[in-house]
Parts: sequence; C-alpha cells; structure tokens
Amino acid sequence: MSANFSVPLDLSEEQILTLAPDESSKKSGKDLANPSKWVSKAISARALWGECQGSGSKPYQTQIELTNLAFKCSCPSRKFPCKHGLGLLLLSARQPGLFQHSEEPAWVSEWLNKRIEKEEKLAEKKDSAKPVDEAAQAKRQQARQQKVGDGVAELLLWIKDMIRSGIHALPGKTSGWWENMERRMVDAQAPGLANMVRTLGNTNFYKEGWQSECIEQLLRIYLLISGYRHLDRQDPLLQADINSQLGFTINQEELKGSEGVLDTWLVLGKQSSEDQGITTERYWLFGATTRRYALILQFLVRGQGAQLSLTPGLSIRAELVFFPSAAPLRALIRRQINVRELGSGRSLTQSPQITNVCPPDEPLSGSPGADSSAEGQGFANWKELTDSTTATVSVLPFDGPRPYIVRSLTPVLQGQQWWLKDEEQTLMPIKENFRPIGKVLSLGGGEPLDMALIGKDRMFEPIGVWHDRQYKII
Amino acid sequence: MTSSWNNILHTALLGTGKQPLRPEELGEDLSPIAAQIDTSTQDKEEKFLQIAALAFNYRQAGFIPQRNESAQLSKPAAEDKPYCSPQAMQALAGILEEENTSLFALWLQLCRDSGQLARPEILPTLLQLGITHKHLREDILTCGGQRARWLATLNPDWSTLPASEDTAEQQWQTGTPEQRREVLQQLHKSDPAKALQWLQATWAHEDINSKIDLLRALSANAGPIDLPFLEDLLGDKSKKIREEVTLLLKKIPSSSLIGQYSAALQQRLKLKKEKSLLGMLSKTTLEVAPPADGQELSPTLVQSGIEKLSNRKEFSDEEFICYQLMSYIPLDFYTTLWQKTPEEVVKLFNDDPLGKKLIPALVLSTVHFAEPKHAVPLMQFSSTFYLDLLPLLQPRQQEYYSNKFFATSPDAIIQYSTRRQTEWGLELTESIFRHVSKDSYRYNRTFFNKIVTLIPVGAAALLDKVQSDVISTGGVGAWASISNAIRKLLQLKTQTIQAFNK
Repeated sequence: MSANFSVPLDLSEEQILTLAPDESSKKSGKDLANPSKWVSKAISARALWGECQGSGSKPYQTQIELTNLAFKCSCPSRKFPCKHGLGLLLLSARQPGLFQHSEEPAWVSEWLNKRIEKEEKLAEKKDSAKPVDEAAQAKRQQARQQKVGDGVAELLLWIKDMIRSGIHALPGKTSGWWENMERRMVDAQAPGLANMVRTLGNTNFYKEGWQSECIEQLLRIYLLISGYRHLDRQDPLLQADINSQLGFTINQEELKGSEGVLDTWLVLGKQSSEDQGITTERYWLFGATTRRYALILQFLVRGQGAQLSLTPGLSIRAELVFFPSAAPLRALIRRQINVRELGSGRSLTQSPQITNVCPPDEPLSGSPGADSSAEGQGFANWKELTDSTTATVSVLPFDGPRPYIVRSLTPVLQGQQWWLKDEEQTLMPIKENFRPIGKVLSLGGGEPLDMALIGKDRMFEPIGVWHDRQYKII
Repeated sequence: MTSSWNNILHTALLGTGKQPLRPEELGEDLSPIAAQIDTSTQDKEEKFLQIAALAFNYRQAGFIPQRNESAQLSKPAAEDKPYCSPQAMQALAGILEEENTSLFALWLQLCRDSGQLARPEILPTLLQLGITHKHLREDILTCGGQRARWLATLNPDWSTLPASEDTAEQQWQTGTPEQRREVLQQLHKSDPAKALQWLQATWAHEDINSKIDLLRALSANAGPIDLPFLEDLLGDKSKKIREEVTLLLKKIPSSSLIGQYSAALQQRLKLKKEKSLLGMLSKTTLEVAPPADGQELSPTLVQSGIEKLSNRKEFSDEEFICYQLMSYIPLDFYTTLWQKTPEEVVKLFNDDPLGKKLIPALVLSTVHFAEPKHAVPLMQFSSTFYLDLLPLLQPRQQEYYSNKFFATSPDAIIQYSTRRQTEWGLELTESIFRHVSKDSYRYNRTFFNKIVTLIPVGAAALLDKVQSDVISTGGVGAWASISNAIRKLLQLKTQTIQAFNK
C-alpha cells in the first residue's frame, strides 16, 4: 500500500490528543477508542472511517481524511474534531490491525469528492473573481489611514503626558483608565495599538523591576508610532511590519499568491492564550532544509471549530508563505502536501527503535524532503543567538517573541533562578515561574540537551528538547 | 549600560517635568547621539522618548550573555535497572489521567517488582504525586531510580521525599515534626533497634507533644525490643505519656502489663469439671469467680483502662472484668494454661453458656494481636460468624467465608473485602456486582476507583452478564455508567499487568 495512508496511524496517542478541543473531548475520545463501540471501521488510501453506535437509532458515521487530517462526523456535536473522530483516530493508532483496507463506501467517497470539488471551485472562484474597484478601495484605505493617524496622535499625546508627570503614578491607575485608551485605539481602527496598550496596562506593578518592563513596552509603542509617522521614509518591508503591528490586515488569499517556501516543517510547539473570548493559537515551526523559523497563527472564537490542527512533534511537508516583514516570521500554509510523522513523541505508543526526529545537528532520517545534512541547524551557543537577535532588532526594533533552537544547553540554578548554560559557559535566564523545569531536568539528567525555545525580552522558555533521538514536547 | 538605563528609568519615574534626562548620563557610546537629539527643537517628552528608544534598541542589540563557569548542575548516579516499556508508560499515562490512585499503586508495585524504572519524562509528575500520596513515596522513589532521587534534591517541594538514608537522618535531626515522625516510623519498621537508639538519644530534649507524636510512630510495629524503653516510661511524670505508653504496651504480648492482665484473669476464670448422666460423663465448664484471696483489681490495671463495674447488663462485674482482660490476652495464654489446642479452647468457650458470652473477647484479642493462626479455629468452631476475623484469614479462606456468608451480610462482607490484599474470586465479584448494581448511590464510581485492583481482570464478562440481568429486571439506573467506568479501569489494569508481564 502507499505510504501515504498508513501515516496517521503512526501518530502517537499523545499527539492525537493534542487535536482535542478540550479535556472532556479527550476523555470521551479515549472511551471511544474501543473496538466494541464501532459497528464498522475501515481504511483506504485516502481516508479512515467507521460507524459508532451512539444514543441515536442510527450509528454515527465518522470519517477522517488522511492527507490533511480533516474530520467529519454525522453526530450533532459542535466540537471539532468531535469525540468520535478522536476515538476513531486513537483506535487506529492503538490497534491498526483492526482496520481492513477496503473500498470507500458512498458516504465517504462523496465527502472526499466534495472536498476536492470545493477546493477546485475555490481555485476557480479566485481566478474568476470580480475585478476590485481600486478607486473605492483606495478611498476606504485613505479614510482608515486618517483615522489611524488621528489615533496615533492621540496616543502619543497620552504617552507624553505620562512621561511628563512620571510613571510613578501608573500603579495607582484604575483598569478603566487603561481600558479607555484601549477603546480609543479600537475606535481609531488600530487594534494592534489597542493590544499594546492593554499589555502596558497589564504590567505587574507589584513585581520588582516593573519600571523597566513598563518603560520597555512604552518605548515599543513609541517606536511603532514614530515609524508610522514617518512611514513613507521606511523600507517597504518595515512599512509592512508597522502596518501589521498597528492592526492593518493583509488579504490572505492575495498573500497566498506570493512565492512560497516548500520545506518539511517540524512543529516545535503550540501555545494558546485566551483573551476576551478569542483564543490565539501559536504554532512554532522550523524548516528542516531552509532552517527557517515560522509562526502560524490561528484565532478562534469560542465554540468555533479550528481550521488548522498541527501536532507538536509532527513534521508537515508544506509550502508556507511568509507575511512581508523586515524579519519574516509569521506565515500561513499555502499548501500542505502530506501529514508526516517523524516519530517524535512516540514514547508512549511505539517501540523505541522507530526512527525519530533527530537532534538539530543530525540528518532528519526518514524524511525524503529534508536536507540529509542538517549540520549547523540551530544555534551552537548563546553568542550566536544574540548576534542573530541583534541583526533582527537592527531591522525590526519592536519585535515580539521568536523561536530558536540552541544546541547543548544545561539548566543551572543561580540566585534562586534557573538559567540555561551553553557549552561556552554563558548563561541565559529561563522565563520566571517556568513550571516544567522538572521535565527538562529529568530528561537531561545533568547532561546538555538540544532545545527549542521561545525567547522574549532576553528570557527563554523551553518548548521541546531532543532526548534519545526523539523530539519531546515540554 | 545598566547605569544609563537606570538613569532613564529614574527620569521616567519622576517625570521629565521634574527631572529632564541629560545626554551625558547615557555613557560614551550613546551620549553624542543623545546630545544631537537634545539640541533639536522638539519638546522635552519627545526628546526623552527618542533618547530612551535609542537606549532601548542599543540594549536589545548589544546584549551579552553572562559567563559563569562555576554554575554547574550535579548529575544523578547511573541507573542499574532498565527503563520500562513504552506500553507500560502508556498504561501509566492512562492511569494518571484517570487520577486512579489504586491503579497507580499497582503500576508502581509491578514496576518495582519487575526491577524496572519509570522513564525520565514522567518523573516530575510522579514526584509531585508523592507529595500528596505519602504511602506511595517509597515506591515512587524506587521506580524513579537514581534520577528521581537526584531530582528530589533540586526542588524544595520534593525535598520531603525520603531520598536516601542520609537525608532520613538529616530529616530526623532537622525536619518538621511530621517528617521526623514519618522517618522514625519507617526506620522502626526496617531497623527497630536503630529507631529506638535515635529516639532515646533525643528523648530528653523533646517537648511533650513531640514525645507523644513520636511514641505513636512506634505503634505500627511495637515489639519486645521496645519494652525496656517503654516500661521505663511508665514512671514518667506526664499522664499523657503514661497513657500513650500503656496503649503501646497493650500491643506487646510479652509486656509486664499483659502479664498482669493474664495473672488477674487466671485468678478469676477457672475450669470446672461437672458430672452428668448420673456421674457417667464429665463435662468441663467455665466459671468466673472473685480471686480466692479476695484481692481487688490492682490500681495499675484500673489505670490502664480496666473498668471494675460492668456497664453491660449481660455481665456481672467480675465477668465484665474478665471480658476486658481477655480482649488483651492472646489465645496462647489459654492453650498453655489449660494444655489444650486452640480448637479445643474455642470449642470449650462455644459449648459453655458463659464462654459463649466471652467469645467476642477472644475475637477482639485475636484481631488486636493480628493472629491469623487463631482466627481459623474461631471461624470454624464458633457458632457465630465474626466478620472481624476475615482479614486475618488466608485469601482462599477469606474467599470461602465471604461467599458462604455473603447472602446474610452482603454490605459487611463488601466492606471487609475492600480491605483485602488479594484479588477477589469471580464468584465473590459477581455477588458483589449483583448487590451493588441495586445500590449505585452507595457503591458509586468513587467506590470502584478505590477497589479496582481487587477486581479480577476477567470480571469484565461478569459486568455484561450482570447488566443484562439488571436490564431484564427493569432497572438500569446509574449502574450502566458505573459498569462502563469499571470496564475502563479493568482495561487499564489489564494493560498494566500485560506491560510488565512481557
């Protein structure tokens, strides 16, 4: 059989469970990973399907497209994927032998064909899209620029008032005071600035050293404002960064028309945060051949199904399009060729001898698209990393968190805080209150580990390590 | 750069209205550019923001990681056992997700017995669980190997775990009262002489509450080796300590207190030979009488808790004294005194009207001293079934008696069955399932979570059988979901057993 369709069965239980929308789905999915719950189950080159006896008179029809791990189920659940989808996938991971290769029944092939048709239609629609009324668009754009410009001027005045009277008074400000300016920025159609003001207001004023943290955020806002005030004098890529930071969106369909970067991308980690009912999912990726880092963002409104579900520890063969930037990081997936598991995170379900994701300085075995010689992937020491951040800061002064792979790091305790020491004996601090430090220590056992980290404000948060030739999520 | 940045922070704190930032405060790299900004026509705040932004970028771009060769991380000793299989780890992950302590304990036990180790990624979770599940700490450390002991030294939260004997002694010297009691209890179990040595060395410096606490630590394994120390304490000036010591002495058959109880009983309880059937047959009966010398119960015995007056109408005062004394006297006393086997002793009591009243005291003493050898005759030759004796019987005997008496005392049998150390048989399991299916309120999921290790893995089929019977009698109620939960737990149990049987 083709290597394609057996791939998702190589997913470990841990990896499949990261697809679950919530804890109860995980639990129910596990309950359903039981052969007795399934009236029928089978697999083809394109899909995996099964019928699960639920509370209704007819069994629910659950189907999973294997190429992009898309789910569909006839159950009434609004969760995505539903417990039946998770249960079926878990069952296939636990007992692949139970799934007979067979012809797709009509309800499966219809769905798969519809998906193909939909994609084709979308492509056609794109080709035959109505011509854009450029004049009207320019007018709208100009009106918005005006609004944003007014907002920026108002925010600058607010900051200057703050600087004139001193930031010592800030800890006493009510939440309403901060929210007022945040709302003003939303009204000025500069949601990016609104977010930055919110972050400023969320400064922990009870923490020692709040002054530095607060002034740094103020200066980030100021730099962005200054950049916007002199936008026409900036490099076009920096202009794109400024607009993006202010909250101007980019037409993603148009962006997909730009040149893409095809690579095998290892999903280094996933971070989720929720604010005002919107969940932001950040997927941190690393390209095996291009050695580029990427950030894929997904915004979810409560109850809405996720369009994208990447599993940390998995690699995807995909073409990414980077958002225009002086130091590109954010990207979107233009084309995903296949879901491919490189074996990491299998420790719980698969035998240890299976090929796994190799440390960054070794070839990624078993990945035909990957560079067989990955020598030099990741940074050898902190000096290399800070040189890189210096280069980034010199072109993009208000940069956010970024992922890094650094080789041979050992956690050491110094002054009640954990640091990461490289082979040159230099140290960088681990993010405060980093709870999984125990896992990092335990995996390393006092020996250095190659690590994937998220760095922000000279603090680093490990998100994964290479241990026993496997990439393990922290 | 630090001082330049501090100058910026200082100005920002006070405000440019009070203290403007001077370019020369920014150090030699930045001050020339800052001076240029300062001469521009902009307002003070704009100048400050520009200079501060310049310093901010300079700081970000020029960051040099600190060098420290002395900061080192210790290393754990090399492991001498293999890691468990991925299947075992998967079973453990399932158990931890279910938060099932019984299965967790079973997993640890099987891992320990098979001489394997839990893999490093799970160790922090196991150590964290060790904080709340004290009874599992030892197994957690055994299954965690050298790495777990090493990790425990790196996190203050895990420092309470008994990482090594050195730490144990250290905890005894400097630990919290709770840690000290625990360390003493553990040591008293493994090396009672050393535990006594530790206790005696610090005894004079302990306060009353600590003394009582530490004496209680000896309770689980009190034995003859403790007698000299404990009997010495009977003269302690503190009443609380004397009471605590008395409780401990009551647990040691060779103590002088039990000796006094035995002597007092011997003075009161006698065997009497009676002739019957015109003198052709003789019968031995029991008789309780005041001591021949008319001596009253000694004050020591009264102080130890023996009541002189009966508070139960079926007993006279002397009978009641005997009943109380017998509750603390091992059955061996009668076999030696009357030259009879334990079976004969039990029969003698059972066949005698007075003895029948006193048999519960024999049961109490057998349970008190946990004497399995006497539990069997008490079960076999007594006309009453004493559930308290069940835990002292061999597993097969427990199974036999539990099945035999299940119909008459189902709830009591279930309660005792939950304390068993070995799995139930299928017959008993089925009886229990059938009984509990009618009382899901009492025997809920929590109940089964606790006792799943006692249910044999083959019981899944029984669940189907019981369920179909329950459905046919018209009631399912919560049992359906409970039996599903049991099935899931049994699946995890099977997975665990199989993972370590490979």
